Amino acid sequence: MKNKSYSLKKNEIRDAWIMMSPALILLGIIAIYPVLRTFWISLHNMVLTDPGSGYPFVGFQNYIKLLKDERAQDAIIFTVKFTITTVFFESLIGFSAALVMNKSFKGRGIVRAAILVPWAIPTSVSALMWKFIYNDQYGLFNDILHKLRIIDSYRAWLSSSEGAFLALVITDIWKTAPYMGLLILAGLQMVPEELYEAAKIDGASILQKFRLITIPMVKSTVLVAMLFRTLDAFRVFDLVSVMTDGANGTESVSLYAYKNLMKFLDFGYGSTLAIMVFVVVFLISLFYMKGLGNTLTDI
Amino acid sequence: MKSLVFKKVVSVILLGILFTSLIACGSEQTLESIDTTQESSQNQDIASETGSNEKITIRFSFDQGVGEPTSIIVNQFNESQDKIFVETVILPQDSNVVHDDFVNKLASEDTSVDVMALDVVYVAEFASAGWLEDLGQYFDDSTQDKYISGAIEGATYQDTLVAFPWFTNASVLFYRKDVLEKIGVEVPTTYQGWIDLNDKVKGVSGVEYLSSFQAAQSEALVCNWVEFIWNNGGNILDDSGNPVINTTNNIEAMKIMLDYVENYAPQGVTTYAETESEQVFLDEKALFIRDWSGFWSTANRDDSKVAGNIGATVLPIGPNGDSGHSCLGGLDLVVNKFIDQDHKDAAIEFIKYMSDFETQKQFTLIAAQPPVLKAVYEDAEILEEIPFYAEFYKVIQNGKSRPKSPNYAKVSDAIQRNIHQILTGNLGIEDGLNKLQQEVEAINN
Repeated sequence: MKNKSYSLKKNEIRDAWIMMSPALILLGIIAIYPVLRTFWISLHNMVLTDPGSGYPFVGFQNYIKLLKDERAQDAIIFTVKFTITTVFFESLIGFSAALVMNKSFKGRGIVRAAILVPWAIPTSVSALMWKFIYNDQYGLFNDILHKLRIIDSYRAWLSSSEGAFLALVITDIWKTAPYMGLLILAGLQMVPEELYEAAKIDGASILQKFRLITIPMVKSTVLVAMLFRTLDAFRVFDLVSVMTDGANGTESVSLYAYKNLMKFLDFGYGSTLAIMVFVVVFLISLFYMKGLGNTLTDI
Repeated sequence: MKSLVFKKVVSVILLGILFTSLIACGSEQTLESIDTTQESSQNQDIASETGSNEKITIRFSFDQGVGEPTSIIVNQFNESQDKIFVETVILPQDSNVVHDDFVNKLASEDTSVDVMALDVVYVAEFASAGWLEDLGQYFDDSTQDKYISGAIEGATYQDTLVAFPWFTNASVLFYRKDVLEKIGVEVPTTYQGWIDLNDKVKGVSGVEYLSSFQAAQSEALVCNWVEFIWNNGGNILDDSGNPVINTTNNIEAMKIMLDYVENYAPQGVTTYAETESEQVFLDEKALFIRDWSGFWSTANRDDSKVAGNIGATVLPIGPNGDSGHSCLGGLDLVVNKFIDQDHKDAAIEFIKYMSDFETQKQFTLIAAQPPVLKAVYEDAEILEEIPFYAEFYKVIQNGKSRPKSPNYAKVSDAIQRNIHQILTGNLGIEDGLNKLQQEVEAINN
């Protein structure tokens, strides 16, 4: 009897593995293998235009090069600055928009759909559009600021480092704040109405309700949304590639990695940069996971 | 026991679903290629119906920019042929995308593409990687002499012809004929000569700026910059390929260029690629624009404000320049080294067709791309259709290739970053050129 239940359990474990194996194999093929492979390549001197070199193994030489590479450091600084600025404003705007959309008013459905339009436009298309908006001769941006008498003559916004940074940040916020808004809205709608009613009976003010009910209830949603956005913002590529191509100190890490990989065909060093992006993204995820506590695994 | 059977059934079903979805994903990606093969097999069917033998199919890959006219030419070739069938593989109109696509294929020794239309700047890179068939054996010297020398030179790497020019391109200085007539001056030939007109032309027929060109951090900036350098008698690399960038001559050229950016062009010129710079000229705001020859037809379209008022001339020179050299662009045809001899022979046959007089002439007329065959520039019909080719022939004969380096992408990147920093005032002229010199030296080593 005992023996039978033991073998049954064994069978179940075996079956569990069998049933999970497709997922595990798939995960291995699409997630783990590429990362390991990229890491392996990053330990080689592999420049595709020079097949004669035989792509020798060079250990951590590429990583030492990365530490000394000023251009890579500039790229990291820019990317971190960009990530912090955009995620901060996107969360702020997204949260406010979500609070508004959570109230019932006429035409709410349309507003909810309309707010997603910027998010639905492919990044490279919206980047091209915004590039024209910042144009020094015909740009809408200049026109509006000029009419508001904020500037007295048209400026070439993308031709200075401050201007280009500002332009990229605005474009990114315009594009992804709605996405943030929608994710947070989903969180807000899960807050039970009874909590607010109970608070009302207890005589809580609006601010108290917001601080003691809304914020704790949507905290994990907001953190998940911020996690997504931080990861995305850190890997920013198409926006920068189209609008400035890295001019005026706006080269992002991904763009620099791309240039090494696809333009210089330096797969060794490009992979090193890619691994660095991977490590940073991994650390960011860990950081957020910690903030989320065990809410992710609780469910 | 029952549940065990159930589990097994479920797991089999799940596996089934998983693999079908995988297969579905896979087939989606290859849909395009399946389509074209079907097309070709249909064509083969037609061919066999009409009684001819089985054809060799070669695949020709090029970008959408010349998609339509090229398809016409390829169809004509297919109709004229009973042995070879050419299939087209059209890529997006983006030189980088095209480059990456070819690199991915050739680096893995893929044979799915036989002939490729490659941007001239990448010829050295592909040749040094050993991906290109040597074409010298198929095209002798006397044949090569019939083509624009700059274009042949651009298709040659280490004394071997590794590509064959298909069409070329060169920058031209387009100016407002009506404005110069109004103020009654001859067309200047020097950078200073144009600057001298600045005060006179402001406000005439809407002109706000003396010049428009491309100074955004991009490949176009490289072309613009090398022209300023060449036209002041300087160079980027010497004959043995070593950088000679921070010379007194080049510092002077750089000063002229910076002067143009700061004082004689729209403020946003350091963000302008071709499209933006053209818009300024088309809106009658600039006296002249340095642009590729194809702009002639764009600017003379019926709906263009400046149509009929445009003159074309060679680029101006600096105090130490001898003549105005233009930067050559265009596409070369290259043959994949990894395909078998039968396909190579078919590919050569196709390239010969693409470069013969009739095709070159026709392509010039339908694609408005400058031919590489000299005789076409002297053809009466061509000159009647595109009168500006009389002037353009002089421009293109003085054309030069951008610095040829197997690491061209890196050289170009170094030029773009450093020159752009000089032009936006973030680096001094001498510091910037010194830095560029060092970077190019490091790339060469």
